[in-house]
Amino acid sequence: MFMGTQYNFNWGSIYEYKQKFIDGFLTTIYISFFSLILSFFIGLFFAYGQNSKLILLRFFSRFYIETIRGTPLLVQILIFFYVIAANLGLDNRYIAGVLILSLFSGAYISEIIRAAIHSIPQEQYETGLSLGFTIFQTYRYIIFPQAYKRIIPPLTGQFASIIKDSSLLSIISVNEFTMNAQEVNSYTFSTLESYIPLAIGYLLLTYPISLWSRKLEKKMKD
Amino acid sequence: MLLKSFMSFVLLFALNPVFANAKPLRVGMELQYPPFEMSTKDGTPSGISVDLAKALGKYLGRKVIIENIAWDGLIPSLKTKKIDIIISSMTITNERKKVIDFSIPYAQANLSILTNPTSGVKSVKDLNQKGRVIAVKKGTTGNIYAMEHLKKAKLLILDKESSAVLEVIQKRADAFIYDQLTVYRDWEHHKKTTVALLKPITKKPGYWGIALRQNEPKLKKKINAFIKKAKSDGTFDKLAYKYLKNIKKTFIRLNIPFFF
Repeated sequence: MFMGTQYNFNWGSIYEYKQKFIDGFLTTIYISFFSLILSFFIGLFFAYGQNSKLILLRFFSRFYIETIRGTPLLVQILIFFYVIAANLGLDNRYIAGVLILSLFSGAYISEIIRAAIHSIPQEQYETGLSLGFTIFQTYRYIIFPQAYKRIIPPLTGQFASIIKDSSLLSIISVNEFTMNAQEVNSYTFSTLESYIPLAIGYLLLTYPISLWSRKLEKKMKD
Repeated sequence: MLLKSFMSFVLLFALNPVFANAKPLRVGMELQYPPFEMSTKDGTPSGISVDLAKALGKYLGRKVIIENIAWDGLIPSLKTKKIDIIISSMTITNERKKVIDFSIPYAQANLSILTNPTSGVKSVKDLNQKGRVIAVKKGTTGNIYAMEHLKKAKLLILDKESSAVLEVIQKRADAFIYDQLTVYRDWEHHKKTTVALLKPITKKPGYWGIALRQNEPKLKKKINAFIKKAKSDGTFDKLAYKYLKNIKKTFIRLNIPFFF
């Protein structure tokens, strides 16, 4: 595959910068981890918001989800960091990075949760009520246990996406994995030597998640 | 009749010195540094480097193709033979010399500082301190300088010049290190929010060269001869007059050494 690139590999120049790769890899893990947790709660809130009786909250939730899903993440990062965060006085680009990633991913997670809850047939709600369950009990004991199985597989996929999407934070100079690899590339001019470890690094993070997701799916079937 | 016109068509190409050499010269540059490398409103490349590339093409008898490539992709593109030479206001540095070759210098530029009114930065000495944040454009001489000489400060490495300026305006960075022309022009656009410290921060200026692959002595010889000729026959003066008339006046007024 690499024969056609007419390229002389020079791994030695990259090895000098190994600490940069390690630091970037760890930063990517931190950012993804916090975004993962925060985006789940954001998703949960807006999934509730979309079904809310309050019309304002419902509209706001729809507006949020459509805006986020209809615009590129790159544009969102630039606007959030240079316009919104600047006005709020939020100067820490790592916190800003986690926030924007969570807001982005939260919109998708909210759709995953909403779709799962909607997929439970209407009769089940009616059955719950006819058995004398309160609405809370219906959700707690009938709807959620079933919806849960439909949420988990796409949710793990979304988590893998967060890890990959975090690479876009490099444009606001967050020293994550991609940023550091690009930096090494710009010092050593060894493009492929910088980007191949990068691809392997991301695979190391996403592949276990993919495995875990498959395992869960199997478990859910039983 | 048909044959005749075909023959004359072939002859036209065979006799035209520009088309005699079949292989066009692919010149890489990042069209983001006016007036050296830029594009007109309809997207045609223009600027001093473009005119220089065309003059070089004429000198070598080769057709010129301009390839617009992002700055940190220029050297990899040259290495992987996607382009033949780089004319992109590139400074000759030791780091770059390790992987590519350069012609003799054709212009010079100095690094300077763009800062904001509240940072309190007066010279480059104020920058090499803990807590200072310095914005640079990735892979530029400003980036290399800051990495080597301003080790105590925190580096913000950005893809675009415009992002770096924005970081300074928003006070997230104390300074942006780049060449004098850029710093001066950025200050012109943001006179209230930025301060330009145009005094060169290094003793020696950076010299710009045309970059080519290593071990191509024939091409290097020809390019060097072309640069010498262009310097003596007024090609550079003409280009400077065409694109840099006002800037040259400003540079003379501010006592900054001019490019050519």
